[in-house]
Amino acid sequence: MKKTHIIAIVMIAVAIGAIISMVSDAATYADFNTAEQLAGKQIQVVGQLNKEKEISYQPEQDANSFSFFMVDNSGAERKVIFNGAKPQDFERSEQVVVTGSVEGGQFYADKILMKCPSKYNDGQADELTEITAESKS
Amino acid sequence: MIEYVGENLLAGQVGDFLIVLSFVSSLLAVFFYFFGSDLNPELNSWKRFGRFFYRLHSFALLGIIGILFYLIYTHSFEYYYVWRHSSTALPTRYILSCFWEGQEGSTMLWAFWNVVLGNILIFTSKRWEGMVMMVFASVQAFLGAMLLGIYPFDIQVGSNPFILLREHPDMINLPFTTNPNYLNFVEGNGLNPLLQNYWMTIHPPTVFFGFATTLIPFAYAIAALWKKEYQAWIRPALPWTYFGIAILGLGVLMGGAWAYEALSFGGFWAWDPVENSSLVPWLILVGAGHLMLINRNKMRSMFSAFALSLFAFLLVVYSTYLTKSGILGETSVHSFADGLPGQLIIFLLFYLGLGLYFLIFRAGKFLIKSEEDAFWSREFWIFLGSLVLVISAFQITLSTSIPVINELFNTNMAPPAKPIEHYNSWQLPLTVLITLFIAVSQFLKYKKTDVKKFAKQITPSLILSVAGTILFTYLLQIDKFFINLLLFTSLFAVLANLDYFIRMVKGNVKKGGSALAHVGFGLVILGALLSAGNQKIISKNRSQININFDNDKDANNENVMLLKGDTILMDPYYVTYTNRSIDDKFVYYNMDYLKVNSQGKYEKQFSLSPYIQLNQQMGNVPEPSTKHFWDRDIFTHITFADLENLDSMSMEQYGEPDTLKLQIGDSLFTSNAIVQLMDFDRNVNIDSLGLEESDVALGVKIRAKTLEGERYFANPIMVLRGNRVFSIDDEIADLGVKFGFMGIDPEAEKLSILIEEKNKNAGDFVIMQAIVFPYINVLWIGCIVMTLGTLVAVWTRFKQKSNVKI
Repeated sequence: MKKTHIIAIVMIAVAIGAIISMVSDAATYADFNTAEQLAGKQIQVVGQLNKEKEISYQPEQDANSFSFFMVDNSGAERKVIFNGAKPQDFERSEQVVVTGSVEGGQFYADKILMKCPSKYNDGQADELTEITAESKS
Repeated sequence: MIEYVGENLLAGQVGDFLIVLSFVSSLLAVFFYFFGSDLNPELNSWKRFGRFFYRLHSFALLGIIGILFYLIYTHSFEYYYVWRHSSTALPTRYILSCFWEGQEGSTMLWAFWNVVLGNILIFTSKRWEGMVMMVFASVQAFLGAMLLGIYPFDIQVGSNPFILLREHPDMINLPFTTNPNYLNFVEGNGLNPLLQNYWMTIHPPTVFFGFATTLIPFAYAIAALWKKEYQAWIRPALPWTYFGIAILGLGVLMGGAWAYEALSFGGFWAWDPVENSSLVPWLILVGAGHLMLINRNKMRSMFSAFALSLFAFLLVVYSTYLTKSGILGETSVHSFADGLPGQLIIFLLFYLGLGLYFLIFRAGKFLIKSEEDAFWSREFWIFLGSLVLVISAFQITLSTSIPVINELFNTNMAPPAKPIEHYNSWQLPLTVLITLFIAVSQFLKYKKTDVKKFAKQITPSLILSVAGTILFTYLLQIDKFFINLLLFTSLFAVLANLDYFIRMVKGNVKKGGSALAHVGFGLVILGALLSAGNQKIISKNRSQININFDNDKDANNENVMLLKGDTILMDPYYVTYTNRSIDDKFVYYNMDYLKVNSQGKYEKQFSLSPYIQLNQQMGNVPEPSTKHFWDRDIFTHITFADLENLDSMSMEQYGEPDTLKLQIGDSLFTSNAIVQLMDFDRNVNIDSLGLEESDVALGVKIRAKTLEGERYFANPIMVLRGNRVFSIDDEIADLGVKFGFMGIDPEAEKLSILIEEKNKNAGDFVIMQAIVFPYINVLWIGCIVMTLGTLVAVWTRFKQKSNVKI
């Protein structure tokens, strides 16, 4: 076998490997109810912060634990727990995207991304700023 | 018809005219250059007209840019773009950032560099002028169309930077649009606080300059394939390709420096989609440049040299599509929301089609008749290295394109939850290979190498690299296999190229550009590895117990709460949060870094002031502060701070009162003192307080002692008037605390004491994070060496070129 052939085969194998790794590392868009059935898999949920319920962050007790209630786009609500500092201006968020997994009825987020409305345009939500917070483990 | 007051409509009208002129003249330049595209150095009238229209296009474009700058500079908020991206309060030094914050401005920035490069190529491309300039002008037509802002058949073509605020679709029917004096009260939206940074003044133009240079190898490759001159294009295209490598590489690394200096994610590379889409064209351009070298020296790897030269530019267009179409949506922090997806897809597909057509039908034949390269030859290893770059680019592009894949195949994937781990799992091993190839290939000869001689030449750097790896592994206690391996290969790449530069090139900088560039690249990787791979978070949560959760696996204790005045151990420092100061819209949190000296006393080493930029419209942005040492950086940033009541008015107001049941002798803490109820004061002077004869008054003596030992006294009085009880409060102004005596509970023998504190006392804490990045300077030195080395190599090649007829 020629070197060129070996190289070609290796290239194809590596390309397939990259595709497999992309598919297996990718998170899945879902709502909270679906997330429960996909235990262990990384899920990305889009929804809104429930501003009526408690947004709990008590840095004097633990600066690295933050929790809130979020309603997903299908209307299901879960408590979201994030091991990290509360993102600045969290209450202002219009839309919240959390990535993580469901365990025992609670959503453990590794990453929070939020969009805040611009105060211009009478709060029309077409101008958004995005803030991400990531927990590193 | 409303007569609006104060509008400068002329500038916009001239701008509109210039937009049309620049678009039409670029189309005419394509037309004339097409007929003048024979590879003939004669300057015929087709080319003359082509030149004329490209120059006309250039003047028109410079005019558009000038007018937009002028409008931003004069705060002409009647124009949507100016209103959207700037404000009166914005310092003039950010005017450049305002210009390219928007989609239209960044398009113009790209077109500007194409104008600069195109006008140079008119003089330097000689017989290639017709073909190369035709390609250039065609790209300018696509970019120009993105500024048109016209609606043929109700389809939007382009977005005009001179559209008026009151005529913008978002503003239709808002009350101000019918107010003739609206300019009196309209204020600009302002610049995104993340971009209010000097890096944002220099990073985008550098990246776009790099992007623009990828068009040169693309244009030459198209020209060569079109005219079936498969060899001669390499010589003129090669120096430009390396010029692009230098500029784009610098731009990409500047993006990293901006992220490190100004963003708070604690690092310089996060595999963000926008970062990725500027890195990928660079990787492919590097591959293209190296394949051209093989081709020039040995007429080999023809197909791949063409393919990568074409794809470097195609990936730039793809990256424009990703960032400007809005498709990244939720995946990226800084993509444009308001894009022109359809137009960008046509732009991409046009050049993809053109490139693939020529690649398959013209260059395809070189793919088949491939001869084998000798194993011990430089070209074989350079070729392998280029393939590794292709794999690296492929993997990054694939995972970054998840939103595109969802659109195409109707899948439902979200980007990787842990992007850094995902990308590193591929890119670390690939970087091991690249650095290894860089280390060995300088000492290999073209065609065939004497293996014994090669082994002898490479041995010193090999031995030194092994020794260095052991040393660093010991010093930094590295225990991850891949990090160790990469440490060795990148050190090997640095030392082997340094050795080559000293012994083979005899330190001649003019000839050693490529060796130096490779030393620089090795240092960049080494620096990234030592700093990011061994970053140490020193703001560990030591004392507190994680009370909320039992899922230890995810326990994150990287954030620490610091109360004002607190000192907390952050090994090897003790950190004190000393005070908060407000300067305009910046809130600075001053931290002293202390060490314990030989007498056991704290000694201040340095101070850092991470800050939060307050921004009503776009959210408050924390920005880090970093202490630079030669061998490490101490990076500090605020992850959370209470930003309520920050203005001086509300800071002086009293907050929520607290009522406590206390006995005489009890003590309690306020935020800045220990307070004790000393005794009753039974001899209240009713007259001096202006009370009535029948009133009964009882005081209580309160002592407040500060942590520094200063004593203050307060004497609130409870008054009984008929059935009514009220309190005459007493304030200790210096401490910002107020006491009231609200009543007595006779059964429990307790006094009801009300305590109020000023807002400025409360909430003065921060949640912060401190990270040590060891040897990060190696990375920055590497950037400089790599860029300068590449530029030296480019200069040498330009010199060589001018002696030879092309």
